[in-house]
Amino acid sequence: MERIVFFIVVAIYILAGVAVTRYVKNKDDFYVMSEKGSTLLIVGTLAATYLSAVTLLGIGGMVYNEGPVPHVAFGSFGAWLGTLFAVIYVGRKMKSLNCQTIPDFFEKRFNNKWVTVIAVSIMIIALLGYGVVQLIGAGVVLAEILDIPFPVLILLFTGALLIFSALGGMFGVVVTDTLMFFTMLAISLIIAPLIIGQAGLDQIKSLGEVIPNYWGVTGAEERPMGWVVSQFLMWILFFGCTPALVSRVFPAKNDFVVLKTAVIGIFCAPLMQIFIFLAAAAMQVLQPGIDPADRMFIVGLMDYTPSALAGVGLAGLMASIMSTASTLFVLTGFALAKDLFENVLHKDIDEKKGLILGRAAQIVIAVVVCIIAIMQPSSIFWISIYAGSIFAVSWMPTIIASFEWKRMNSKAAIASMSAGVISFIVLGELNKREVIHLSPNFDHFYVSIIISIAALLLTGFLTKPTEHEQFYYEQMKTSKLSTSTIQSILAKPNGLAELRSEYKKTFTYAVSFVVISVVLWGYFIVNMAL
Amino acid sequence: MNTGALLLFVNAILTTLLSAGIVIWILRKEYLPTIKRLEEEEQTNKNMEFRNQMKKES
Repeated sequence: MERIVFFIVVAIYILAGVAVTRYVKNKDDFYVMSEKGSTLLIVGTLAATYLSAVTLLGIGGMVYNEGPVPHVAFGSFGAWLGTLFAVIYVGRKMKSLNCQTIPDFFEKRFNNKWVTVIAVSIMIIALLGYGVVQLIGAGVVLAEILDIPFPVLILLFTGALLIFSALGGMFGVVVTDTLMFFTMLAISLIIAPLIIGQAGLDQIKSLGEVIPNYWGVTGAEERPMGWVVSQFLMWILFFGCTPALVSRVFPAKNDFVVLKTAVIGIFCAPLMQIFIFLAAAAMQVLQPGIDPADRMFIVGLMDYTPSALAGVGLAGLMASIMSTASTLFVLTGFALAKDLFENVLHKDIDEKKGLILGRAAQIVIAVVVCIIAIMQPSSIFWISIYAGSIFAVSWMPTIIASFEWKRMNSKAAIASMSAGVISFIVLGELNKREVIHLSPNFDHFYVSIIISIAALLLTGFLTKPTEHEQFYYEQMKTSKLSTSTIQSILAKPNGLAELRSEYKKTFTYAVSFVVISVVLWGYFIVNMAL
Repeated sequence: MNTGALLLFVNAILTTLLSAGIVIWILRKEYLPTIKRLEEEEQTNKNMEFRNQMKKES
C-alpha cells in the first residue's frame, strides 16, 4: 500500500512538472515564471515551505518530548514573523527592483563581484547543508517504511525532482509546490486533528501535571531562557532573508498578489504547524516513550490513523521532503547559472543558451546532491548545524543596511558577511570544544550578530559608497511595487474599476482572515488556556 | 490558567493580526490616495460632460 502511494505521488509530481514545461519558453519563464503567478500559486509555493522533514520529524519529536511552548510559541513564532518580513519587506522591495534572485539584488546594489561571490557561496553552502541533511534524514525513514534501499530512494527522488526543476525551473517548482501544499494541508487539517481528537484536548492540557513544565516557557527539558529567546530571534532573522521564502515573491503577478499572499500565506503558517505540534503532544498522551522521538509522526500515522488516510499522510511527508529538495535544487541551480556565470563573469548569453545553462546547472546540482546524500559525508552534518543561522548573521544586516542606509557600500557588505559567518562558526566550535565558556543564557548567535552589525557600521563609516552605490540607493528609494502595479492595471481598459476591485478584495481578505484567526485560535484559548 | 497554551495561541492570532494590519496600512497609504484622486477626476469629467450636454440641449 505504502509503495503504491509513493509511486503514484512521484508520478503525479513528474506529470505536473512535465505539463508545465511547455509554458517555459525563455529565461524569464524559467527564473520567475514571467511574473504571472496568481495568489493561489504564490500562497501554495510559500506555504509548502512551512512543512519540511525538520518540522514533521525533528521539531515534532522535540515537541513530543519537551512540550510545545519553547519550540512553537517562541521558535516557530519567530519563523512566522520572519516569513512576514521576507514577503512584505525584503521580497516586495527586491521585486520592485526587478530582481530575479537575492544575489541579483547584491549585484545590482553594489556592482562588485566579490560581494556577489561571497553572497552566492554562503547561499550554496548553507542551502546544501540545510536541504541535503533533510533529504538524508527523511529518506532514511522513508526507505525503511517503503522497504526500498536508501540509495535507490535518493536516486528516484532526485530523478523526479530533476524532471520538474530542470525542465520547468521556477514554473515547475511553483506548480508542484502548490500540489504538495494541498497534500500537506491534509496532514494538518485532517490527520493531525484526528490524532488530537483521540487524545482529547483536556488530556493534552493535563500533560503539564504528568510531565513537569511540559507547558512551561522553558519546556520539560528546562532549556535556558536565553536559548529560548535566541531561537525566537534566530528564526526571525533566518526566515526574514532566506532565499527559500524571499524568492517566492518574485514570480507574483503584481503587488496585490504579494499583499494577499502576505495575509493568506502567513495565516497558513500557524495553521499548518500548530495542528502538527498539538498532534505531537497528543502522541505523548496516546503513546509515551517513543524512542527516538523523531519517529513520533510515523507511529502516529501507522498506528493511530486509518490506512487510507495514512497513505495520504505518507504522501504529505514525501511532499514536504520533495518541496524542500526542489527549492534547494532550483535556488542553487539559479545561483550557479544566473548569479555566478551570467552576473559575475558578465557573460552575455541569448535566451536559448541562457535556458540551456539554467537547466544544465540543475543537472549539476542534482548530481552533487545525489552523491552527497548517498555518501553522507560527516562535513554535511557539520554544515547543517550552522546553515540556518548563517543567513541570519551574514545576510540580514547587509540586506537591511542596503535598503535603508545611504553610506552602505560593498566594503561594509563584505566585512559584515565575512565577520558574521566566521565569528559564528569559530565561536560555535570554541564553545563546543570548551575552549571558551559562554553562559547558557547567552548563545553565541547573539555575539555573532553583534559582530556582523559592528563590522558593517565601522566599515560603512570609515569608507565611502561609490557613485554607482549612491545612484542605486536613490533609485531604490523611489522604486515602489505599488507604483508599477497601479500603472499596469490603469493601462488596461476599465483599469480604475479593476484597481478598485483589487483594493477591496485585498482589504476584505485582510479583515476576513483576522476574524477567522480570532475564532479558530480563540476556540483553543477557551478550551486549553483558560 | 495554562499560560504556555495562552502564549502559543495568542501568538498565532498576533501573526495574522500583524500581517493583516500591515497589508491594510499599505493599501491605505499607497493605493487609496490614487484611487480617490482618479475617482474625483472621473467625477469631474462626468460633471463636465453632463454640463456640456445640458448646454447643447438648452
